[in-house]
Amino acid sequence: MAAKCRFPVKNLLVHPVYTVGYGSKDHFTVPFYGLVAAMYGDGRPVRLAFDRYEQFQTSIKRHASKMRYRIGIDKKTLLLQSFKAEFEVDGGGRCNFSPSVAMVGASGAQSIYYFPKSDLTGVAIASRAIDAGSARGYGTLQTMAATEMLIDEIATQLGLDAIDLRLENALRSGMKNTQGAIPAGAIRVDEVLQKAKVHPLWTERAKKKAEYELAHPGNRYGVGFACVQKDFGTGAESSFAKVEIAADGKITLHHTAAEIGTGVNTSQAIACAKWLGKPAAEVRMAIIDWPELPVVTSGDPYTMSQGEQDKLSANPRWSPGLISPSSATNSAFYFTHSTHEAARVVFTHGLWPAAMAIWSGGIGGGQAAPLVVRREEARWVEGKLTAAGLEPLSLEQLASKAHDLGLVTGAVVHVFNRWQWSEAEFNIDGVTERLPIDGLSLLHGAGKTDAKTDAKADAKIDAKAAKAPVPAVYRALDRKRVFIAPVSRNNAAVTYYSAVGTLVELAVNEASGRVSLLTHHSIMECGNMLSPQLVSGQLQGGLAMGIGHALHEYLPLYEDGPGNGTWNFNRYHLPRASDVAVWAQTGEVLPPLSETDPPKGMAEVVMIPVVGAIVNGIAHAIGHRFNDLPVTPQNIQEALA
Amino acid sequence: MTAANPTPTPLMQQPLHQPLIQMKPISLTINGAAIGPIQTPDGLMMIDFLHEYVGLTGSRLGCGQGVCHACVVILDKPDGSSEEVRSCITGAHFFDGKKVRTIEGHAKRNEQGEVVELSPVQQKFLEHFSFQCGYCTPGFVNAATVLIERLKREPIARESVEHEITKALDDHICRCTGYVRYYEAVRDVVLNTPGLVKDSA
Repeated sequence: MAAKCRFPVKNLLVHPVYTVGYGSKDHFTVPFYGLVAAMYGDGRPVRLAFDRYEQFQTSIKRHASKMRYRIGIDKKTLLLQSFKAEFEVDGGGRCNFSPSVAMVGASGAQSIYYFPKSDLTGVAIASRAIDAGSARGYGTLQTMAATEMLIDEIATQLGLDAIDLRLENALRSGMKNTQGAIPAGAIRVDEVLQKAKVHPLWTERAKKKAEYELAHPGNRYGVGFACVQKDFGTGAESSFAKVEIAADGKITLHHTAAEIGTGVNTSQAIACAKWLGKPAAEVRMAIIDWPELPVVTSGDPYTMSQGEQDKLSANPRWSPGLISPSSATNSAFYFTHSTHEAARVVFTHGLWPAAMAIWSGGIGGGQAAPLVVRREEARWVEGKLTAAGLEPLSLEQLASKAHDLGLVTGAVVHVFNRWQWSEAEFNIDGVTERLPIDGLSLLHGAGKTDAKTDAKADAKIDAKAAKAPVPAVYRALDRKRVFIAPVSRNNAAVTYYSAVGTLVELAVNEASGRVSLLTHHSIMECGNMLSPQLVSGQLQGGLAMGIGHALHEYLPLYEDGPGNGTWNFNRYHLPRASDVAVWAQTGEVLPPLSETDPPKGMAEVVMIPVVGAIVNGIAHAIGHRFNDLPVTPQNIQEALA
Repeated sequence: MTAANPTPTPLMQQPLHQPLIQMKPISLTINGAAIGPIQTPDGLMMIDFLHEYVGLTGSRLGCGQGVCHACVVILDKPDGSSEEVRSCITGAHFFDGKKVRTIEGHAKRNEQGEVVELSPVQQKFLEHFSFQCGYCTPGFVNAATVLIERLKREPIARESVEHEITKALDDHICRCTGYVRYYEAVRDVVLNTPGLVKDSA
């Protein structure tokens, strides 16, 4: 922006997160308005304050989308045979992620199914509508909800149980998605479907429909179900993390991740505990300057040739990407990876050798000598480290020892993921290790002649004093070899998925056309949860947003739309608590396969199945299938007329 | 353009000493402290008065038209009752001589002004992970506090707790949370504050 500007702009600082709106964060015209306003500020700070009408006018919108699907199924085997999908997204006046929304939407259209043959086309068009851009679900909200409605319709036409049909055709572990990639790890959508199949909302739906309609004349009862799995990440995910442990055991975490309200600062603090026994006490997010580890990047990670990547990666400081914004549901899996790896280096080369030194102290090799001690048997129990029956040691003891012995007490890592992590070999204190990171910088303890405590005290008082020791003490390592995912990974895309199935119980009022959600139940698979409270918060919030998408939230395109400056929350109905079955709703998360499942991103997938489930539930209630959203009371009155 | 209106005086020629914006003084009590008199433009909305004239920026402008309830402040009435008032559509001068509380006034502070203890509603919102982006949170804190204060005066039966919470908070819009963790936190406060629920064990 500074380079393109014809005014003498010296520095332009755009805060990593200047809005709190999902999907309206980093690629947006508003910073330019701020820049222009600043020209008239006479050197003084300028604040731009928009009212809500202006925000409706200016903020980027979800892409209005059209889906045209044909699904072929073999009536004898009940197996899906082919999927032909045409998907068109309206990008509005400026190209803002539209091509990638079209691509991601098309690649997600398969939902949870295996299609032996598929022919998917995604097209983004320009129009005079307000700019559309990145929004929660990123094209797949539209395409997967549509698939789920069609599958439900197929089941009805064939006289099948809609969950049984899904179970027959759900993708299983090791099978290919429509792009030809094999998804990461176990696919557990069948477990989600099995749970839904035996849930009372599903098994008793016919009986309850009869009872409810008898007890509530003028109302129609319906139960709907949908299940989707959504990818997370962008195919070029990168981040820095710094984990440091002070001599008193205090853990500090710095990360590039920006907090947008989803709780990433909490979850990343918690992530430290896996290797260090307790959460970070001090957390600084959205750090963009990393003098401790100077990584450089160049080229486009999505379009570069293999030859170009091979050539560039000869530079031990080069990575295909530098820093990813908080987007694409990338904190739980991708940001946690860098936090975990930084903490792991501190553990492996700091706390573990410190523990061994303590356990091996004394004559004849101390308490450790009679035992076989394996690092993989290390366990944190109630905040203390033990292994193979050795005396549990507190983090304070270990940190102090690591500092005294000059072991690793801090690590900065850089990571990159193209649907697969970059790996590299590093020589750490004489040992070559292959780690799933592409950059590493280490801080060692000062040794026994400890001037560190004083330096720290000084640092608190004088920020300038703190600056001096840090770059001097951190030492960036030159990686020996690097293994970056081949650029051909870009072609197949998408390997990481989380699955959610949602059952909705609803009532349709024949006179008003109003749909009331009586309750809903969601079943989710997302690996190990860093924080169950944050996970359920995303689930509940996503469900409300999906309910809004299905039934309430509507902005006309073009002249009557929000661009005319008359739109606000009086006309744009955001779901209230009374619209989302706030007290009745329930959710469950599948237990992880083991404590070693990585945490998986789930903050987008949560809003999608409820959309299909509502429309399928309305079909169960009144026998009419809607294929245009939102389904308004007027639509329902017309269908019932 | 008709001739019916005989040549009005152009704005530029009007006497300069008659300002276009009338200033009027306001005195009120905010969070227990007497404020004013402050010369304030007539017709200025309370939220702008809080933000621009007294430096209390915690109240949130959501819709600016009284729909979303993010901006509510608490009005303490002489009879000891309290109510929510939408500060985006209520003029500052409405509050002249009155007592209000804003989000800044809930926590207990020490002499240095540092927060030392949150209010029960704030504390439970934290413990329940109730909010995400936090934009609607000041409104929810105020609404829940008004509800708790009403229930202290007029306790309710256990079976109507959920219904009363929904009635009290349903006007408040939240984009992020789906409301569940706000509502559960408020229920936690209601059920665990003695005297709010009749015949509770």
